[in-house]
Amino acid sequence: MTKANEAANIPREQPPGALAASGLEARRVSVSVSGKLLIDSVDCTVERGTLSALVGPNGAGKSTLLRALAAVELPSAGSVHFGEHDVLTMPRKPRARLTAFVEQDATTDSQLTVEMVVKLGRLPHQSLWEADSKDSLSVVEDSLATVSMTAFRDREFHSLSGGEKQRVMLARALAQEPQLLTLDEPTNHLDIAAQLDVLAILSGLTEHGVTVLAALHDLSLAASYCDHVIVLSGGRVVAAGPTKDVLTEALIADVYGVRASIVANPVTGRPMIGFSPA
Amino acid sequence: MSLFSRTAFIAGVSVLSLAGCATGAAPAPSPDAQPETIQLSNCGVAVSFDEAPERVITIKSSTTELLLALGLGDRIIGTAFHDGPVPDEWAAEASGLTSIAERVPSQEAVLDREPDFIFGGWESNFSADGAGERADLEALGIHTFVAPSACQSAEQPPKLSFDDVFSDIETVASIFRVDASALLTEQAAQLAAIDANGDSRTALWFSSGSDTPYVGAGIGAPQLLLDTVGLNNLAADIDATWAPYNWEAVVDADPDFIVLVDADWNSADKKIGILEANPATANLSAVKAGRYLVVPFAASEAGVRSVDAAASLSAQIAELDG
Amino acid sequence: MAKVSPLAFGAALAIALLVSVTVAVTIGPANIRFDEVWRSIASHVGFGVSPLTELRDGIVWQLRMPRVLTAAAVGAGLALSGAVMQAITRNPLADPYLLGLSSGAALGAVSVLLLGAAVLLPFAAFLGALLALALTLLLAGSLGAITPSRTVLAGIAVSALASAITSFVIFWSVTGDSYREVLSWLLGSLSGARWPAVAITMTAIIVIGIPVMLTGRLLDSFAFGDVQAASLGVNVSATRWGLLAASALVTGAMVSVSGAIGFVGLILPHAVRLIVGPSHRALLPLSALLGAVFLVWADTLARTVFDPREIPVGIVTAMIGAPLFAVLLTRRKSST
Repeated sequence: MTKANEAANIPREQPPGALAASGLEARRVSVSVSGKLLIDSVDCTVERGTLSALVGPNGAGKSTLLRALAAVELPSAGSVHFGEHDVLTMPRKPRARLTAFVEQDATTDSQLTVEMVVKLGRLPHQSLWEADSKDSLSVVEDSLATVSMTAFRDREFHSLSGGEKQRVMLARALAQEPQLLTLDEPTNHLDIAAQLDVLAILSGLTEHGVTVLAALHDLSLAASYCDHVIVLSGGRVVAAGPTKDVLTEALIADVYGVRASIVANPVTGRPMIGFSPA
Repeated sequence: MSLFSRTAFIAGVSVLSLAGCATGAAPAPSPDAQPETIQLSNCGVAVSFDEAPERVITIKSSTTELLLALGLGDRIIGTAFHDGPVPDEWAAEASGLTSIAERVPSQEAVLDREPDFIFGGWESNFSADGAGERADLEALGIHTFVAPSACQSAEQPPKLSFDDVFSDIETVASIFRVDASALLTEQAAQLAAIDANGDSRTALWFSSGSDTPYVGAGIGAPQLLLDTVGLNNLAADIDATWAPYNWEAVVDADPDFIVLVDADWNSADKKIGILEANPATANLSAVKAGRYLVVPFAASEAGVRSVDAAASLSAQIAELDG
Repeated sequence: MAKVSPLAFGAALAIALLVSVTVAVTIGPANIRFDEVWRSIASHVGFGVSPLTELRDGIVWQLRMPRVLTAAAVGAGLALSGAVMQAITRNPLADPYLLGLSSGAALGAVSVLLLGAAVLLPFAAFLGALLALALTLLLAGSLGAITPSRTVLAGIAVSALASAITSFVIFWSVTGDSYREVLSWLLGSLSGARWPAVAITMTAIIVIGIPVMLTGRLLDSFAFGDVQAASLGVNVSATRWGLLAASALVTGAMVSVSGAIGFVGLILPHAVRLIVGPSHRALLPLSALLGAVFLVWADTLARTVFDPREIPVGIVTAMIGAPLFAVLLTRRKSST
C-alpha cells in the first residue's frame, strides 16, 4: 500500500494554513457513529482550483467522509481547513458561502419549481426577510445557464428526469457561489451523456478557480476527468495523488479485487480503464 | 384530537346523551272497568301488565316521587339517579329507600334486586350500558316503563300540557291498580289556584352553560311552567324541549325575569356568578335587580311536582313584585 | 390555473380581513344597524358617544367585537401553526395538534369544566397542552435521536392516552347536561371569547406568530432534508426545535381560548399552496391571513345560521372546509 503522504509529497509536520493558496486540507479526520469507527484518522488534500475524485469500493466511507469535509455532519475528531478558513469551527452562514455540498439522490415531496430550488442556494447570502436582490437573481440566472437548465426554470422539480434533477441540484450549489464544491456520486443513475455533461461542467468550474471534490464510483470517469484522486478503503486513505500515479493496475487489484488494464482513450488521450475478473 | 377519534367519541357521548325531558302521552287505559290486563304503548313500545307490580326500581327523582305521591313507596325496592332533595312531605319515607346507584344503574345492579318493574324517568335510562334494553328486560319478565312525558323516540307530546302531566299520573296509577283521583283533584285545585302574575312579562329559563346558555325552549316543561304563570319564554319559538341559545339574543331581549334551575352540579348561585361575570349580561335589568326565580332541578321536569313548581314560581314573582 | 402572485393574493386577503371584521361585527341575532355598531365601537376607542343603550352597547363591545377579533387571531394562529408543522415534519397531513397538544388541552379543559371551575379553563387547557407536548418529546427522545417521524408517532401515542383519560373522566363524572359544555369545547367554540381571550390570542400572534411568519426561507431549505438544509448554512436542530416550540405555544394559546377547532390548520395551508405555490416565504403569512378571514366567517355562520341557537364553530369549519378543499383540488388537477 502506498502511503498517502509519500504519494502526495506533503511533509507531515506542515502547519495548517501554511500553504495559503492551498485548497482543502483535512487532518486526522475521524467519524464515529454509534460507537462504530467509519472514518479512521484520514488526512487528505485537494489543491485549489482542481477537480479531484474520491474513489473506493462500496462501504469505504466516501459519503461519510464527504459530509465531514463539508461540515454537514461534524466529524468526531480532526480538522478541516480551506485556505485560511477553519471549516469545522467557522459560523454556519459564512461556511455555506464558502463551500457547497451536493448530496446523492436529492428527493423532495415539495412542489418547488426549478427556479425556487436554485434560489435556495442564495440563502447563505441573504437575511431571512429581505427580498431577492438583482445580484441574487442574476447569480441564479448564471447558475441555471451553467448547467443548461434555463428553459426548465418554471418546471416543477419532481417532474424532471434523474439527470435534469442532478443538474438543478448542481445549479443550486453554484448559486451559493462556493469556492469549494463537494459532490457525493453526482453521476449516479445518469445515462452516459448526462454523466459526461456533469463532469464537463465540473471541469469547467475549476477553470474559474473553484475547487471540486467529487465521490465517483466510475473509475474510468474519474481517470478521464480528474487530475487528482483520493482512494478510500475501509475508512482509510490508501492512496492519494495525481491520477496517473495513483490509479495503477496494482492498486486497483489491491483495493477492488479485480484486474484492470489502463490504456489511453483513442479519442481524448486520457486514461481509460478496462476491467476483468481477478 | 384527530378527526376520527373525535367523531367516535362524539358518537359515544351521544349514546349517553341525556337530553332534557320531553313529553309523551300514553293513551290512557279505559278508566271504568278494571281489566285483567292493562296494555299500553309507551314511547312506541308495547307493554302489558297482568297485575300490579310489587317490586319496583325507580330511576330519577321524578319517578320515585310520583310513586311516593301515589302512596306506593312500600313497593319500591331500590332507587337510582337521585336528582335533588325530596319535598318534605315525602322526605321521611324517601330516606328509608335503598339507593342502588348514584347515576344510571348497570343491568347487573338492577337484576340483582330481582324487580318486576323498572320505572325510568328518561328514555335513555334503558340502554345496553344502562339498566338494560327494554326488550331484554321484558324477556326476563321485568316490565319497563318510561315517564310518558319524557318520551323522545316516539310519542313525544308536541307541546307539553298539564293534561299530559295528569294523564301520566293516571296511567301509572292504573298500572298499579290504585286510585289517583284524590291526588289529581288536589293537583287540579292547586293548579287552578295559581295566580298568573307573570302578566305577559318576559323570562329566560337558564338551565346550564356559561359560554353558550342552555335554556328551556318551546315545547317542554319549562315552557309549560312559564305559560302557567303568565311569563313569555324568550326561546318560545324554538321547537325543542331544551336548546342551546346565545347571550346576544338574551341581552337584546333584556328579560324581566331569569329562571335559574338549581341542581347539585350546577347551582343557582353558580349561574348567578356566570351572569355577573359576563360583562354583557351583567347589565341585564334582571341581573342588576336580582329578579331571579329558582326552580329545583327535580321539579323542572314534567312530573308530580310540576304544579308545585308553577305555584312556587308564582309566589316568587309576587315576592319580587312585592 | 396560473399561480397567483403572492403579493397580490396577500393584498387581497388583507383587504378581505378588514372588510370581514368590519361586517361580521355588525351581524348577529340582535338587530343593530351598521352605523350604530360602528359608532358604538368608535365611542369605545375615544371618538364620540355611543348611540346605543348600555345594554345594546354591551352586545357590540362585550360580545361581538371581542369574539370577531378572537376568531381572526385564532384562525391566523391555527393556520400558521399548521403550515409550520407540515413543513417541519415534512408531512402534508400534519396539523397544529399533532404532538398531543389538543388532546392534552382537552384533558385539562374537561377536568376543569367537570370540576366546575370554569374560570381556570384557559390555564388548565394551556397547561394540559404543554404537558402533553413534554410527554411527547420525552417519549420520542426515549426511542433514540429525536427525528420528525418519531415525534409524530410519539404524539399519536400521547394523544391516544390523553383522549382515553378524557373519555373516562367524562363518562365517570358527567351529570345532567354538563356534557354539552364539554362537547362544545371539544368541537371548538368561540362563544366564550371576551376581551381577555383577545388579549391572549393577539399577544400570541404578535409576539410569536409574526416572527414565525418571517422564517419562510428557512422552512424552504428543509425541502430536501436535513443534510441539504445544513449545507445551506441553516442550524437544523435549532430551527426545528425553535419552530416546534413556537408552534406549540401559539397552538396552546389558541386552544386554551377556543377549544380544538379542527380543520383550519390542516387544510388552509394547502389551499394557499394551491393558489400561490409552495414557497414558505409566502405560505406562512398568507396562511395566517386566510385563516383569519376564514374563521371570522365560520364563526359568524356558527352564531347566526340557526339563529337564535348557536352551534360550535368546529362543526362549521369541518363542514365548509372539506368540500372547499375538494373543489380547489379538482380545479388544480384539471388545469395541469
